Amino acid sequence: MMRWLRYHRHAFLLALRRWLGNPYAALFATLAMAAALALPGSLYLGYANLAQLGGRLPAQPQITLYLKADIDGATLARLRQRLMHDGELASARFVSKTDALAQLQADGLANPLAGLSDNPLPDAWVLTPKDPSPGALAHLSREYANWPGVDQISSDRMWAERLAAALALVQTLALFIAALFAIALGAIAGNTIRSATLARREEIQVSRLIGASDAYLRLPYLYQGLLQGLAAGAATLLILALLMSLLDGPVGTLSALYGSRYSLLFLSPSQQALLVCFPALFSWLGAWLSVTRTLHRVDRPSS
Amino acid sequence: MIVFSEVVKRYPGGHTALDGISLEIERGEMVFLTGHSGAGKSTLLKLIAAIERPTAGLVTVNGQNVGRLNRHAVPYLRRNIGLVFQDHKLLFDRSVMENTILPLMIAGATRREALKRARAALDKVGLLEREKSMPITLSGGEQQRLCIARAIVSRPALLLVDEPTGNLDAEYAAVILGLFQDFHQVGATIVIATHDERALALPRTRTVHLELGRLA
Ligand SMILES: Nc1ncnc2c1ncn2[C@@H]1O[C@H](COP(=O)(O)OP(=O)(O)OP(=O)(O)O)[C@@H](O)[C@H]1O
Ligand SMILES: [Mg+2]
Repeated sequence: MMRWLRYHRHAFLLALRRWLGNPYAALFATLAMAAALALPGSLYLGYANLAQLGGRLPAQPQITLYLKADIDGATLARLRQRLMHDGELASARFVSKTDALAQLQADGLANPLAGLSDNPLPDAWVLTPKDPSPGALAHLSREYANWPGVDQISSDRMWAERLAAALALVQTLALFIAALFAIALGAIAGNTIRSATLARREEIQVSRLIGASDAYLRLPYLYQGLLQGLAAGAATLLILALLMSLLDGPVGTLSALYGSRYSLLFLSPSQQALLVCFPALFSWLGAWLSVTRTLHRVDRPSS
Repeated sequence: MIVFSEVVKRYPGGHTALDGISLEIERGEMVFLTGHSGAGKSTLLKLIAAIERPTAGLVTVNGQNVGRLNRHAVPYLRRNIGLVFQDHKLLFDRSVMENTILPLMIAGATRREALKRARAALDKVGLLEREKSMPITLSGGEQQRLCIARAIVSRPALLLVDEPTGNLDAEYAAVILGLFQDFHQVGATIVIATHDERALALPRTRTVHLELGRLA
């Protein structure tokens, strides 16, 4: 156990010394890896912010039920009864055709109707569901479409669905790009470790001759990969934080124009930790692959 | 302790370096291996340490068939062997001290213990005051002595020594041979390949003579 700890301590210190002893290579590898990570990272931040925005922008999505012109009083009463007691609705508001016309006139939009003797607008109910998700909107629309007296239904469903679909797309894209860049990350890490092992071919050979096992020889390079990945993750975090602080001003100005105050969402602490650990893992894997390969290639006895 | 039976070693390319060697070396024995250049002395030592594997025949060390040794078992075999290489095999980017403690670090010793033992070993070969030097600044003979220090630092039960005195003057050759004799006194098994006449002048030691890959 003590010996095991000593091996790890020794390997870690060796890795640290070699890593810091070659600062340009370390910096270059770290920047390359951080750049590879910053792209999916910023895509994810874009997604998270749009999703947050989508959750609150349309104050509440609404459904409008347009009633038939020839609806009778009894049907109208039943409908009112039903709507006032629907547990899924946050509110239900009746807008008579007279009110609708008055509203149009107030908005200065009624001119096209001026020549008509009759009011052509239908009576309507405006419903606000408790659950603003596209699924709930669709469900309610379907339900009320079949009610007697209801002529047409319009809802913000389409808008909400489009936003959700676009967000799902962005999310899939971010995941896909993240997967690609994880591979790139492993490759970059593996490559730097490979040159490090090749530069120390002789040391590997000699150490082996005096009893070093592959596990022993591998360990410092694994730590080097780990360090490299951790540094890359931390650098990515810095890049993303910088990006957010650059965008925060313009976004604040923009949202002020719309009379609201939107502040950008950053990664949660656990996401930040993940962002540092994930590249460390892949860098470690890349290091493992390349050092194992080198160990297999550095001379084996002939027979 | 070491048994060769009908051992053939043919290198890739077809050259037969050893051709039907049968040989037994007892525990605690000190054996000189002689022969002309190219006779197969280094090859024989390499077979014992599993640096090369026999083409045919059997090499056993402590009853273990080292020619068929599993890849993962080889390091453990080597940790019990002190190897002095004909071409030294020093690490030129590390100081004399770092070279000397290498076998101990690999075996998992504490650094403090390793340094202590390495100083003793360097002292024995007369290199203690050079412990901070880089190997490149050492003379040929000093590099040879460094290689010997590294081989004896872990006090192995088996020492395989390839041409230890080739670059040494008479005085140092005597010191080094005395060193090996001391190890022999305390029970180590030692095989020394050499064509140094001075070594062969030692009394009461067994000599194995190789000629073109055969025992003569
Ligand atoms: N790796 C190798 N590949 C091919 N041939 C080799 C190899 N190593 C040694 N040989 C050949 O095997 C023969 C024996 O070599 P070896 O090194 O064992 O001789 P030696 O007795 O140690 O000679 P010297 O006294 O010069 O060190 C030589 O003819 C040499 O050319
Ligand atoms: Mg030789």
